Amino acid sequence: MAQFHEDPALLTKEKLKSELLANNVPLPSADSKKDVYVQLYLKNLTVLNKKNTSAPAPDTFSSDEEMTAPLLSGRSRSGKKATRKTDRVRPVENDISGLTDEELKGQLMKYGVLSGPIVASTRKVYEKKLQQLLEQPPLESSLPEPETTIPEALTIKAGGNQNGNTHSAEEQYSDKEEEVGPVPEPVPVVSKPVRSRGKTPVTVRTSSRQRTKQQVEETATVTEETVDGGDILKEIFPNEPATPTGITVTCRKPIRGAAGRPVKPLSLWSEESLQQQNTYTVTKSSVTDVRSATPAARPRPRRWFAFWLKLLVFIALAASLYYAFQYVTTDQINACQLYVQDNVITPIVNYIRRETPAEGGDDK
Amino acid sequence: MSSTSQKHKDFVAEPMGEKSVMALAGIGEVLGRRLEEKGFDKAYVVLGQFLVLKKDEELFREWLKDTCGANTKQQGDCYSCLREWCDSFL
Repeated sequence: MAQFHEDPALLTKEKLKSELLANNVPLPSADSKKDVYVQLYLKNLTVLNKKNTSAPAPDTFSSDEEMTAPLLSGRSRSGKKATRKTDRVRPVENDISGLTDEELKGQLMKYGVLSGPIVASTRKVYEKKLQQLLEQPPLESSLPEPETTIPEALTIKAGGNQNGNTHSAEEQYSDKEEEVGPVPEPVPVVSKPVRSRGKTPVTVRTSSRQRTKQQVEETATVTEETVDGGDILKEIFPNEPATPTGITVTCRKPIRGAAGRPVKPLSLWSEESLQQQNTYTVTKSSVTDVRSATPAARPRPRRWFAFWLKLLVFIALAASLYYAFQYVTTDQINACQLYVQDNVITPIVNYIRRETPAEGGDDK
Repeated sequence: MSSTSQKHKDFVAEPMGEKSVMALAGIGEVLGRRLEEKGFDKAYVVLGQFLVLKKDEELFREWLKDTCGANTKQQGDCYSCLREWCDSFL
């Protein structure tokens, strides 16, 4: 039981074909222009619509196939029950182009849209906006299939400004012009449309049903937004486990030799550090073959310290040698020799004498 | 945050003055010509439209799409270009 559109030009050629087939209408030749299909469709549409008016079917608009022409579906609906209140309001609003600038602005105000000046260049945009706003309430108020509406609301909220499509979620943004991005602020997005929907009187049919729908929408959008946020996080940090807040903390490895920690790694970390050292040595040896393993295996600060120590010793040696060659006289050398002889040789000789008492001492 | 093109950076760097509409980011030759046909021959005219729409992103995108047939990316580029220009110079 498909709904019949009054403006089939909005449908694709394929759609028209399928609709005609569904109603057992002989298709024109395969290469016919869309117009031919449109005409055929219109012919059948009017006939079938009349049939529908005589026997109203409640599930006529349950399968929402086309989102682009819901306004016209509203028209077919209103055609069934002529006594509906909205029927009287609709013909006025349907003639949007007939409205004056002031009236258009007023209509937009009714939906809470703070519009700017309606000038020649802006008029079309605002007319479109009003049209979209008018299409929204009939969608909201018809709740035979809440599941179908919820996914579209989800895609709207998640999709943001795709193709410039404006729906209820988007319309609420223009209220607060600061919040433009839907994705980075999932929570305000969710709460605001829910709240403002409650304000518009046209949409509230049965408040309990609305609330449950909103709650389902809320949780669904929140989960979707968190999933979106989680996906982004997963892209950036693929190895991190998922956390509710999306924040993960990794322990920093303790710095050896700092804050009283032992310079050599403890047994707890030994495997890790050794592995690292091994890899380090491997890379080092691959680059320079001369270096031995031990000096390269030492951690960096230790290596620098040893290097400086060696350098210091070398400098001290060099300085002493220089001093010796420059300043010391031959007399001093002789005196030094005697001194060394007295103080170094004799104790050694005495020590030897003590060790081997049988032996005669060497008088040197 | 997506990176901005060179065109965007060039436009936002200085007052637009009498720059052609094609100097706007997202507006190339084809779109620029279409805008000029509609009467928006200078960048400041498009700026005027942007301001009249109260710098609203959604409305401006819609307008751009209707006027010159810009796609989503081009709309976004133009919008962010003008918005940034306004932040700096308006």
